Formats: sequence, C-alpha cells, structure tokens
Amino acid sequence: MKNITFVFLFILTAAANSIELSDQGCDSDNLANACIPKLSSGFNFLKSYKVNGEAKDKVEYSYVFTKGTQYMINLCPNGATADGVVVSLFDKERNKVASSKINGQFISAIAYPCNATGIYYIQYTFDEPSSHCAGSALGFKR
Amino acid sequence: MRLIAIGIVVFLLTSCSSGKKPDEQAFLKSLDSTKNTGPGVDEEVINAILGQIPSPIEISMLLKESGSKYNEAILNSTNNLPKYNSNFKKALNLGVYGTDLGYTNIFGRNQDAIKYISSIKSLADELNIGQFFDIATIGRLATNSKNLDSLLLITTMNFNQINHYLQSQSRDNLSVLLLTGGWLEAMQITCQTAAKNPENAELKETIGEQKIILEQIMLLFTFYQSDANMAALSVDLDTLKKAYDKININYTYKESTMEIVNGVAIIKDNSTTTIDITKENVLEIKDIINSIRTKIIS
Repeated sequence: MKNITFVFLFILTAAANSIELSDQGCDSDNLANACIPKLSSGFNFLKSYKVNGEAKDKVEYSYVFTKGTQYMINLCPNGATADGVVVSLFDKERNKVASSKINGQFISAIAYPCNATGIYYIQYTFDEPSSHCAGSALGFKR
Repeated sequence: MRLIAIGIVVFLLTSCSSGKKPDEQAFLKSLDSTKNTGPGVDEEVINAILGQIPSPIEISMLLKESGSKYNEAILNSTNNLPKYNSNFKKALNLGVYGTDLGYTNIFGRNQDAIKYISSIKSLADELNIGQFFDIATIGRLATNSKNLDSLLLITTMNFNQINHYLQSQSRDNLSVLLLTGGWLEAMQITCQTAAKNPENAELKETIGEQKIILEQIMLLFTFYQSDANMAALSVDLDTLKKAYDKININYTYKESTMEIVNGVAIIKDNSTTTIDITKENVLEIKDIINSIRTKIIS
C-alpha cells in the first residue's frame, strides 16, 4: 500500500512539475491572440498561428493566397523584439518569396501584395536557441 | 517522460470520474451516424488542409467590390431550416448559413442577418456545438458592417474551437461538412453574380481560382469514404472537378524583391498566375454548383 501511495505521489509530482515547466515555456496560444490587434490598420484578420519551436526546428502552416489581395503576416515573439524568430513565405513550388530577415535585420511584419494565386507556405524558423516561441497573425485587404 | 506523466494522471482522473452529467449522456447518444467509423484520421493532416482554405467572407468582399448589388434571392432561405433533419444536412447548412450571414453583413442587411443568426444558432444547438456560438456577440458584430474584421475573427476562432472539439469527439467529418457547405454557398453566390456580370473578368477569375480550393476539399473527402453521405457528396464534387479540369491555372515564378518601410518588409511579388477560363466554363460550373447546392439545401 505504501508503495502504491509512493508511486501515485511520484506521478502527481512529476505531472505537476511538467505542467509547471510547460507554463513557464512557450505560451504561443496567448502570443498568437495578442498578435491579432497588431495587424496594421485596414487589414482584416484571417488566421492566428501558434509558433512553438520547443521541440522542432521549424513550424509551418499553409494558406491559399489570392491574386489581387494584399496580405500581412505579423510576428509577435516571446520578447520585446523579433530577433531570433524568422517568418518566411514560400510559394507552391517552394520558392522563397518573402522573409522577415533582411540583410541580417529581423522585421516583425511582412506585407505581401499577392500577384499569383496558389497555396503558400508560412514557415517559422529559429535563428537562436533561446528564441523559439512566438505568435503570429495573418490579415488581408483588397 | 513529461507526456507520459501527464498521460497517466489524465488517465487516472478520467477513469475516476464515472458519473456522466445528463446532458453529456444526451450528447453522446446524439452522436449517431456522424461518428466516424473508418480508421482514425490524422488530426494534424486534417487541420493543415482545413487551415489553408480561405474564409468564404473573403469571396463575399470581392462581390461587393465588384459593384454587384445585394440579392437576397440567391441565398438559402431560413424557411428551409426545418428540412434539415440529419446531422449531415445540419452541418452542411450551418456552413451555408454562415456564408449567407457574412454576405448580409458585407452588404449591411441587418434584418436578414438576424434571421441567419437565429438559424445558425438552431443548427449549432442541434449539432451540440451551440456552446461555441456566442450569439449575442455574433449578432452585434453581424449587424454592423463596420465590424467585418471582428466577425471574421470570431468566426475563425469559433471554427477552430469547433473543429478541435469535433475532432476530440471523433466527429471531424462535421468540420469538413461545415467548411464544404460554406464554400459551396460562396461559389453559388459568386457564380450567380458572375452570370449577371459576364464581362467582369475578376469574378470569372475568382471562379477559376477555386479549382485550388476544390482540390483541397476533395482531398479532405478522401478520408471519409466510409461515410455513405460523404461518399455520395464526393461523387458530386467529382463532377465539379471534371468541369474544373478544363481550366488551366498557369503559374510563372519570378524572384520577388523587398524593401523595409516603417518597420514592415514590403514585398514586390513578381510572380504571376493567369487563368484560362471561358464564359462557357463559368456557366458549366454554375450549373453543377447549383445542382449540388439544391441537393444540400432541400
């Protein structure tokens, strides 16, 4: 009985520690929600994206962009600046069409006036091990 | 290890709670035939496809910009609501009415919007997803066309929550039906509008571009072929695909350029797409869409 109690307490402690670690880790859900109001004026919200790179080297989403529509992708990292997290946009053939890292400078927003309809891949990568957590929002205007 | 520990605790907690609330029992009973019977569908794969399909409200915005007038007659009448007595029809028409609500909102038709909100609430309740519809908020947003952004936000958030919930109940086929109903209605509205404005090249192109969306929707349907209703709808969508096979979308890639303006990377997209679509193609697609939609809303 003592053993069972010990095992149960061990499991509970391990779980509590895990949950605590998780809370201290990447809260990409909240970051994604907080990123929505940061879309520039005139852009209508489309999607918010959770960017949690704790266990992977990239996070990727896709969306069908339409010719004649201007899109904006905002990046809201878990820190004051966008340094370390890079958002890149690839077309259906995996050609890179945009990036938030330009000449070594990290930019927190990309405006993309789409001229070619198709599936695009929105990919988040992490330049620094300490920067692996962010939220992001996609908006559009015509 | 972290996951294992959480998993064990979750298992212990769930296995300890044997008493189900009455409404939960009613809900489980209501799952009926809409519960997937086939092999488990990978949630990540489904989410990836669902996530890339644009909101029908995007198309509705184009319609208003094209100068077309509001036309209530092309929407699905809320009088049809009592006809929807299977979860298959309810889910599809929840999507249909969602698109119609967006359309009324964009054209500022508040009285019509209220009717659609009421029908949406009824269908959502009957599908046991009414808890995700904050009708008071949707009503406030949908009756003010200046709130399109907020309406898009709340509908997207709702869809994500509903989808996650339905997946946890092994009813993700309903998410696909919701989305398909919404898309078919947007197609119906666009085709009807294009038929009245045959010279409008942008509308014609928009119809042609939907080939990409149709391919994604059909990909989703391949996961649910064990569901007789979805398999039948899949056959109809295949007829539509055959019409779309005649349309070519030509893509030319050219490296983009970019500059930083006020802290924003502004991209100049040098790639292009051209869409080969004729008036005859539009008419054929319109007729097929109309035929599929009639089955859905009747």
